[in-house]
This record gives sequence, C-alpha cells and structure tokens, in this order.
Amino acid sequence: MKKIIVLLIVLFIICGCSNENVKNEVNVLNWSSYIPYSIIDDFERETGIKVNYGTYSSNEELLAKISSSNEGVYDLIFPSDYMIDLMIGKDMIEKIDIKELENFKNINPMFLNQDFDKNNEYSLPFLAATSVIAVNRNNIKDEINSYNDLLNSKYKNNIVLIDDQRIIVGMSLLANNYDMNDIDKNHIEEGKKWLLKLNNNVKAFDSDSPKTFLITNEVDIGVIWNAEAIIAKNYNKNIEIVYPKDGFALSLDNYAIVKCSRNKKNAYKFIDYLLREDINKKITEEYPYINTTISGINMKTEELLNVLKNSTYVKNIGSSISLYDKVWAQIK
Amino acid sequence: MKNNFFKNLLLILVFIFLFLPIIVLIIYSFNSSQMNILFEGFTLKWYKELFNNTDLIESFINTFLVAISSTAISTIIGTISAYGLYKYDFPFKKIINGLIYIPIVIPEIVLGISLLSVYTLMKLELSLMTIILSHIAFSIPFVIVSVRTTLTKETITYEEAARDLGASNYRVFKDIVLPTIMPGVISGATLAFTLSLDDVVISYFTAGPGSNTLPLYIYSMIKTGITPDVNALTSIILIITFIILLSLVIIQSRKIRKEAI
Amino acid sequence: MKKEQSMFKFIFTFPVLVYTFILILLPLLYILFLSFCKSDSYGGIIYTFTLSNYLNIFDITYIKMFIKSSLIAILATFICILISYPFALVLRTKSKHIQNLCTKLIMVPFLTNSLIRTYGWIILLRKNGIINTALINSGIIYTPLSLMYNRIGIIIGMVYTLLPFMLLPVCSSVLEIDNNIIEAAKDLGASKIQVFKNIILPQTLSGVFNGSLMVFMPAIGYFFITDILGGGKIMIIGNLIKNQFLTARNWPFGSAIAIFLIIITIILIKIYKRLGGKMDDLGGF
Repeated sequence: MKKIIVLLIVLFIICGCSNENVKNEVNVLNWSSYIPYSIIDDFERETGIKVNYGTYSSNEELLAKISSSNEGVYDLIFPSDYMIDLMIGKDMIEKIDIKELENFKNINPMFLNQDFDKNNEYSLPFLAATSVIAVNRNNIKDEINSYNDLLNSKYKNNIVLIDDQRIIVGMSLLANNYDMNDIDKNHIEEGKKWLLKLNNNVKAFDSDSPKTFLITNEVDIGVIWNAEAIIAKNYNKNIEIVYPKDGFALSLDNYAIVKCSRNKKNAYKFIDYLLREDINKKITEEYPYINTTISGINMKTEELLNVLKNSTYVKNIGSSISLYDKVWAQIK
Repeated sequence: MKNNFFKNLLLILVFIFLFLPIIVLIIYSFNSSQMNILFEGFTLKWYKELFNNTDLIESFINTFLVAISSTAISTIIGTISAYGLYKYDFPFKKIINGLIYIPIVIPEIVLGISLLSVYTLMKLELSLMTIILSHIAFSIPFVIVSVRTTLTKETITYEEAARDLGASNYRVFKDIVLPTIMPGVISGATLAFTLSLDDVVISYFTAGPGSNTLPLYIYSMIKTGITPDVNALTSIILIITFIILLSLVIIQSRKIRKEAI
Repeated sequence: MKKEQSMFKFIFTFPVLVYTFILILLPLLYILFLSFCKSDSYGGIIYTFTLSNYLNIFDITYIKMFIKSSLIAILATFICILISYPFALVLRTKSKHIQNLCTKLIMVPFLTNSLIRTYGWIILLRKNGIINTALINSGIIYTPLSLMYNRIGIIIGMVYTLLPFMLLPVCSSVLEIDNNIIEAAKDLGASKIQVFKNIILPQTLSGVFNGSLMVFMPAIGYFFITDILGGGKIMIIGNLIKNQFLTARNWPFGSAIAIFLIIITIILIKIYKRLGGKMDDLGGF
C-alpha cells in the first residue's frame, strides 16, 4: 500500500519534455461551440496539418484533463482569464513567441496586457463574453437596469440564470455593492440571503443553452452570456440586452500553448490562421462573442469601452471557493 | 374481457412512456428549423446533410468501433472470469468478488478521472485504445454478474458427469458449460454494448486528442443546440436496431413454436 | 492431465486477477489516497494526511442535500417498482411470443443516446410543449402545467432513464415462477391474495431488490437529469461530486464523497444479503 502511494507520487512528479512530433498534426482542446468545424476543415486543406480537435465545457474540465494527462498530449488550449493565471502558477503553459505570428498586429490592443498576464507572455486574447440581463420586452415593460430590479415578486418563475456558481454568487455580491470576487464570509452570507430571495423568481439554472428559455417564451428574463442573448435576439427582436449598472462579469478566453507541446510550430500556424482577418470575422459571425481583433470588431467602440470599464474578471480565489460552493449547495 | 382490456392498456401505457421521447426525436429529424426548438416544417435535408458531415460520421464509426471491440473483449474476459470465480479457489478471490462491484456503483466522473490518472501513471498514450480499455473496465463487472446468475449447481453436476465419461476440460467447457450460460453471456454482452454506446463522462476523460465518439460529439453541441442531422443519425440507428431486434424475436418465436410441436 | 488442469485454472483465473488489480484496485486506491489529502489554493493536491474531507461531509448543508437526494432517488425507485411489478404480472399471462417481444422492446430506448432522449422530454414537457399544447387544445386545462424545471421533471427523467434497470430483473424473476406451483396452490384452495403473498412475492423479492439497487445508486448520481429536466435548481449527490472535480477544484473532497457512496453501497448490499438475497443477482438480468 505504502509502496504504491510512493510510486504514485514519484511518477506524478517525474517529467521532462520529449522530442518534436514527426507527424504533421496539432492537438487542440477548445470550448464547445466556439469555432465552426468548416474553419478547421479549411485550415487542414490549406496547410495539410491534421487538427485533432476536442472540446470542453468548463475551465476546470480543461484543467483536469491537462493536469492528469501525460506531457505533450495537447498543444493548443483556450483557457479563460483566471485559468491562465492559475496555469502560469502551475507551470502548465509555455511562453508565447509573438514573432511566430504574422497576424499578431490584428489583435485589438484594448484586450492586451490584462491583469492575469500583464505582458501577454503566456497568452493572447481569442474571444470575450460578458454576462448581461436579457429581457423580453413583449411581456416585461418595467424598467430593468440593475440586479435588484430582478427581485420584483411579479417575476415569479420567470428568470433563467447561468448555471455557474462564480457568476451567480458574484452577481449577488455585486447587487450588494461588493466586489464580484469578494471572499469575506459576512459579505458572502449577505449574498446568499439575496439569492434566496431571488430564488422564488428563478425558473432554471442553465449553462448549456439558456437562450432556449427566452426563445420559447419559457421565461422573460435571463442573466446570461451576451452571445446567448444575441442569438436569442435574432429570434425575437424584442429581446433587450441590458448591462446592469451594478457591474457584470467579463470572461476573456485566450490562446495558450501547453508546456512540452510537441507540435508548437503547427500550433502557431493555427493561431495565426485564426487571427487572420477573414477567418476571425467568420467565427464571430457564427458565434456572436466579442471579437478581440481590430478587423473583426463587432461592437461599437463606445459600447466596448463601457464594457471594459464596468466589468470584472472572475479571479482565482483559492480555497475560499469552498465558501461559494457551500452557498451554491444551500440555494439549490 | 374488461379485465383483459385494462391489462393490455397497462402494457401499452408503459411502452408509450418508453417510446414517447424517441418518437418526438424521429419527428424532429424532419424539422426544417436548424434549432431543435420549434417544429417549422417538413424536410429531408438533414438526412442528406448527415452524409456530408464527416466529423459526425467519423465519430459514429469510432463509437461502434469502441462498442464492438470493448463488448467482445469484456464478454470474453467476463465469461471466463465468472466461470473461474465460480469454479476455482485462488488467492485474493474474496477481495476480487467484492471489488468487481465497484465500477457498477462508483460515480462515472470519479472512475473517469482515476482511470486517466492510472493511464498517465503507466505512460499510456491516450487514443481510441484507452477509451476501449476504459469501456472494458466498466463493462466486465456487468458481464461477470450476469453470467454468474446462469451458473448453477446443475452445471457442476453435468460437468462432473461429462468428466467422468472422459471428456477433456476443453470439451467440457465448450459443450456443457457454455451452452448453459449462454443466456447470461448474451444479456451481459447486450448490457456492455448499450453502456458503451451511451458513455460520455468516462470517454471524455480517457479520450485522446481527436478520438471523438458520438456521445462526445453530441455533448459538445449542447451549447448551440443539437442539430437535426444528429437526430437523423439517431433515427437511422434506431430503425436498424429495431429491425435487428424484431428479426431476432421472429427467429426465437419460430424456435419456441418448434419446441412446442 | 494435472498440467492441463493447472493451465486451465490459470486461463480462467489470471485475467480477472490482472483486471481487478489494474483497472479497479489501482483507480480505487488513487481515490482513497486523494480523499485523505488536502487541496491547495490552485486546485492542486497537497500530499499531507487529513481527515477533514470526511468530516466536511457531515456538514449540515451537505447532510440536508444527501437526505433530499436520497428522497428523490427513493421516490424514483418506488415509482419504478409500481410500474414494473404490475407490468411483469400482466406479461406473465401472455403467450411466450409476446413475452419475448416485450422484453426485447424494453431494450430499444436504451440503444439511443441518453442526452438526446432527455432532449425529447424537453420538447414534450415544456410550458408550450407537446403535452401542454395537447391538453389545452382539448380543453382539459386552461393554463399550462409545470411539468419540468422542478421535482416532477426530475422524477420523470429518473424513472424514464432507469426504468429498464427495474423492468428487466423484475420481469425475469416474475416470468420464472413455475405455473404448476400456482396451479397446485389454487387446487388446494388458496385464494388469489394467498397465492400472491405466499408464492409470487417471496420468489420475486430478490428481483425487486436487485432492480432497486440498480435504480437507486444511479438516481443519486445522474447529474445531467437534474441539470436538464430539473432546471439545475435542485442538487443531488452526483452534482456535488461533479462540482468538486469540475468547479470547486477540490478533488480530495470529491473523492471522499465517492468513497462515502461506496461505503453506503456496501452497507446496502450487506442488508440485501441479510434479507437472503443472492449476491450474484445484482446487476444480472
């Protein structure tokens, strides 16, 4: 028993990068529904590089997969802000050499030099999203511009929320004028009470496709990612997208190269391809997240400035996450 | 008469319950809308589109490759093991008897992550092979358990009789044991097959780059919504399995009739 | 002869030894090991011994959730029995052909992707879904019923997904009863109730318990059903474990809950054995 444990530990610690891969391929792990499959096919045809494409639906899923796999299994991943910070801390990603990227100049500087990776040593921005309130104006006429407006008892069973504890508990903190990443016990307790009040109005928590609730008139209000809200709006013009005045979450997903990647050159080629003007545009046309390039910008500068000013990144809060976890278990 | 009516009604209601969502799914494979939300009109285009979707077809082929090979291997190992556990005494037998139930009860996510760690420990390269290995890992207990139910005292009696008459070990196993445990082997294999076809969580963790299975493919679509070509594919799979099952039933019915005569 | 014997024994016992030690014991030891570790602030694992993960399970918040989760699973199990038992009794009265056909048909829904089946239920159960529309159009109700995004939806989903696990063992145990025994009892003047109580029930009890375990254990773990049909409003143990691995990055705590679940299962199996059940019936259809 003891020997096995020692063996386990030793084998987990041993590492060291092996050689470059001989096969002409690149192993990519990306968020589900983020790059249209047609773009990957085009890249393969153009360059002759085979893209082995896998998906994940949360940063932690990605972390679990990378940290438990052998070194060099994956090349290119797309972690969000706080996960970049965490992965740098755990020495899981490589430094990025922008000289390898012809289209680096296309990146919108507004998204560079963010807190989680000050000089973009390890990551480059890919797509961004913010949490917003979406309101179906066919059925709701009241003014809604802050989270506290959602507490109105008229909206019983009429709200859908993202099924994400950091965003939702964060929202309750913002509603009480605290920071979204607050780790003070008493503040979180206040947030919990606020959420218990809101709970009567909540019909469902859904992180897969909350837009469906709005499109099918199952609910009239949603706190959801802006891309979801935009798709819902394409179905129903009377859906209004509100940036809550108490603040909201910003999530920036980034290109990152996994430590010991065996297909670094191909990974750079793929990043460069996605940064190309025409390609980048295609991605956000299919999935309306916030484009982070100069050529593909899909938001008015004024709106973008407002978004960047009033939003907050989800931050790594370490073991304090157990406080959030408990609140989550209590409101469900 | 009236009583009979209620009895039949009960059977029919249970089957309606079981098949209702599947009928909906087949209907929606003819839906002209891209989103699986509202039925907007009849179309056959998804069936055409299906054959142009190489990723979907590839994941479909992978799924069956995994399901068939993992079922074959786990059925063989499971059957052999069930017999071995039943017949022989050997070291650790008691512990093994207890441990084989663990994959049945352990949450999939825990099994998935721990298997991934074991593969990493053994420096195995993640690929379709590791998915197959994992499916074998969770299927074997189901096979062992269902084969065991068909191993009875009578089997042993027949076995000894045959051996007394000079039959070799091999002949005894092939001609006496195997036929009596066959129903258990078949149901174990069916179970292993269906579990493998449907697995998402364990496949997710133990899949290598680019080795997509159908459930993983579907899982990656839930954000944008499952497209109707997936419905179309599922409908085709359903109809094929339906035909296979029906012909099995007809063959077996003939057998029963013959035996009755 | 002796040599052949021992080689035979080797063939029949060696694979299961290898399998159990590599693919069951090793992963299990890993989880057991993790459950006594600490997690660091980056979601990594600190290799120092602690019992805090196990103590954490007994926090009132989690105890409440375990009870809630168990109640849902018990209800789902109970409904499965209520459907399966009469179904099997009726099937007994039918011809062999129909019995054969019906037991095969039960397997068909099993062969489609469970996620897609669950989406089929959404289309049926939504506020303006097929069932509500049909009921309103036929004048039976005026306002749509809340059939999902609540406990009703979870129970429907659980019962639907797990019903075959109950139907198959219950049917096989009910169909196995020898008709001659029942006839003999009737000839001796036993009433219908007596036949049921003294012959049918005792012989089928193991099938029912067998099915119950196969329904109950997944019913506390199947998080995708609470997520999709329950609207994510109710957490079950499966969600809690998933959260520890994929949100809270607290693998040790998640492992401890998993070990806790395994212990509960062992206890349930012990109870089953004490009630006179055969171990091998579990999971065997």
